[in-house]
Order: sequence, then structure tokens, then C-alpha cells
Amino acid sequence: MNDWSLLIFTIAIQAAIGSIWMLWMFQFKHKKKTDQEIFQLFKVPLIVIAALSIIGLGASFSHLGTPSNAFNTIRNIGSSWMSREILVTGMFIGIVVVACAWALYRQRISPWLLFGAGLIGLVDVYCMAAIYTNSLVGPWNSIYTFMSFYGTTFILGSVLAGALLTPVLYKQKKDLEAKQFLNIAFIIMLSGVALQVIGVALFPTSMQEINMIGETVETAILASYKGMIASRWIISIVGIALFGYLTISTFKKLYTRLMILTLLLFVMSEGLSRYVFYLLGS
Amino acid sequence: MTQVGFFIDVTKCIGCKTCVISCKDKNDLEVGRNFRRVYSFETGEFPNPRLAHLSISCNHCDKPKCMENCPTTAIYKRKEDGVVLIDHDKCVGCKYCEWNCPYEAPQYSEELGRMTKCDTCIDLRENGEEPVCVTSCPMRAIEFGPIDELRKKHGTNSDIWGLPSSTITKPNLVIKK
Repeated sequence: MNDWSLLIFTIAIQAAIGSIWMLWMFQFKHKKKTDQEIFQLFKVPLIVIAALSIIGLGASFSHLGTPSNAFNTIRNIGSSWMSREILVTGMFIGIVVVACAWALYRQRISPWLLFGAGLIGLVDVYCMAAIYTNSLVGPWNSIYTFMSFYGTTFILGSVLAGALLTPVLYKQKKDLEAKQFLNIAFIIMLSGVALQVIGVALFPTSMQEINMIGETVETAILASYKGMIASRWIISIVGIALFGYLTISTFKKLYTRLMILTLLLFVMSEGLSRYVFYLLGS
Repeated sequence: MTQVGFFIDVTKCIGCKTCVISCKDKNDLEVGRNFRRVYSFETGEFPNPRLAHLSISCNHCDKPKCMENCPTTAIYKRKEDGVVLIDHDKCVGCKYCEWNCPYEAPQYSEELGRMTKCDTCIDLRENGEEPVCVTSCPMRAIEFGPIDELRKKHGTNSDIWGLPSSTITKPNLVIKK
């Protein structure tokens, strides 16, 4: 597997896109809160999301052999999905960084910047998936790629936003708000998992003929990574169970640690899933 | 424009890989980077098994997917003879062309940080010589020239079991099988 940089890039950017949507949803639901209250809640999450986007950008640059020619990558918007994706990812990261800088400078959040970043982010996930579905690598040329990428966006976005916002809400004794947000995050996370499960179910129906001379049949590749695929789903199930427990439990003592553990479990399961994805093309 | 291409006689090829080695030598390619490769395909069953060797490089396709999907427009078709080339002033080394060529023609150079590929030995051709894979083949199983002439001489087939369908990129390749 030589695509570690792409694995980090796709996971980081998709998590950032999902969590931007979660933040936007939170402020939309709590319009009565003052600008200062929202700013205090969103300050750290926005810094983390901006940092995550920049880590993603750095990873994408480390994939390039000649990063000094990076500006050339948007020359073929007319026919290359990679050109389109690079342009849209650049716009997403730009808006997130501006939203973060704006918030820190003005001490208030701009919902429009969050909404704009989220919307461009969803287009970005489509472009990211289209890069792979438009290549000649057979296993990628399937609806599974779209389902998997949007699934990761929903899963990591909701769990990351949950881990960043709810411990602060509990600390401020806003238990009801924390619970409500956690419930929404849990449902969105489950929708992401459902998308991925449907994608996996549809995967065998969209198997392609061999399009590349050195390509191996996908079932043969998958067969050699049975253990890894099983671990990915077991970790996901443990993560779902832990997240589910946190949404109903009233046990607060270890809440922050358990929420971070939930996040780590999902980062691990999505990382393993993406690892297998890149193996299919290597 | 006179489109150029290759003719590969699978009935003559013995899989000796002299074409691969001469290409590596001429282009000073390190281990793992091969502009021309020989693939061996086994078909049939006892008592009629068959082993075919196919020498393949870039086929300078009519519809090169590497060019279509290259984000930088570094990959282009030369106007004079339709040879697919890479402009190193534009190439960013993203390796996306690797995922878009059915023939594994684009090869990444760690040293250059850019993609490289068969250029039909342009420098030799400018001196009136033929590509080195053609002249080095001991079985005379490879020919190079205007594709119209090769098709007139050897037919129009460019498909063989084991090779992706020629409908994907319309390769300028003629195969005798």
C-alpha cells in the first residue's frame, strides 16, 4: 500500500466536511443563543476542523512528486475529475480557514461561512469519489465508492463534532442540549454506517471486467484481507455500541474519555476501510 | 497527421524480454520502471494448453484516458505523429495517469518526481532509425510505423485474451495472434 497520503487526505477532509455540517446544525437549532455563547462553544471545534483540513492539504501535497507544479493541477477542469476535486477542496479549506479566522477575530461565528463550507464540502466528496469511479481501476468503478466516501463524512463528522462539543456542554451543565446533540449525531452516524453497508451489499453487483493489464480480480484481493475487513466491522460495531451507550447513559464521570475513545474507534474503523479501498487499486 | 503505432506478432514472440532490456538500457531506467513490458498469458487446458507472450508499451491511443484525466494537461498528443508525450514542465507527479491507462504505460520516476513513458524513441527516429525495441527483437516480432500501413499489412486486430478491450482507449496497435 503506497497511498497513505491519500488515505490521510480523504479521511481528514471528509471528517472536516461532516463536522462543519454538524456545527452549522447546532447553531441553527440554537438560534436563541447569543453570539458570544456560540463563539465560546465553537472556538475549539473550528480550530480543530481548520487544523484537520490543513493536515489533509499537507497529506495531499506529500502525495505529489513535484509539489512546485501544484498550480497546474487545475488546468484541466473541463475533463479531469482530479482537477475539479483539487479546485473544490481548495475552496472548502479556504472557507474553513476564513471561517475560523473570522470567528477568532470578530469573536462571533458566521453561519453563512459554515453553510457555504458545508455545501462546497458535499460537492467535494462527490468529486473525490468521482476521481476513483472514473479511473480504470475496476473495484473503484462502483457505487460503493460514493457510498463509502459519504458514509465516512457522516460517521466521522458526527462523532468528531460530538466529541468536540458535548463535553463542553456537559461542563456548562447544559445536559439537555448535550443529549439532544448527541442523539442527532448518533442518528447521522448510523445513517453513515447504513450507507456503507448498502454500498458493500451492492459491491458484488457492480464488479467490472478487467480494464487494466496487470489488474487482479477484486475477490482475490479481498480474500487476502479477510481479517482486516472483519476487524473493521467489529471495531465499527464496538464504536456504535459505545456511542449508543453514551447517548442513553447518565454516567458522567468518564464521559469525555469515553467520547474520545468512540472517536478513536471510528477513526480506526474508517481508516481500515479506506486502507482496503486503496489496496483494491494497488 | 500520420498516426504512428506498433505491430506485435504474438505468434513469433518467445517472451525473451530483449525488448524490455534494450528499452531500459536506452532510457536508463532503474529497477521497476519499464516503458515496455512482456506479459505472459496462459489459456486452455490439457491437452490443449497455450502460453502467449505479449510485448506492450504505450500504444499512443486515439482516445488516451491518461490525457483525458491528467489534471495538469501535461499529457498531450504530438501533432505530427500522434505520439503521446508528457510535458515535464507541467507534470505534478500525482500518478493519476497510472490509474487511467489500460496498458500500465505511464511509469513514475522517483528521481524526477514526475511521470515518464515510451516516446517511441523520438531521438533515434529523428536520425532515421527505428525504436530500440523494434531493432533489438531477435524474432522480429515488433514493427513500428504509420498505423494505416501496419493495418494494411497485418490486419486491424488489436485485441487478445488477457489484454483489456481496445474499445476503452482505441490503441494504435495491431496484434497477430
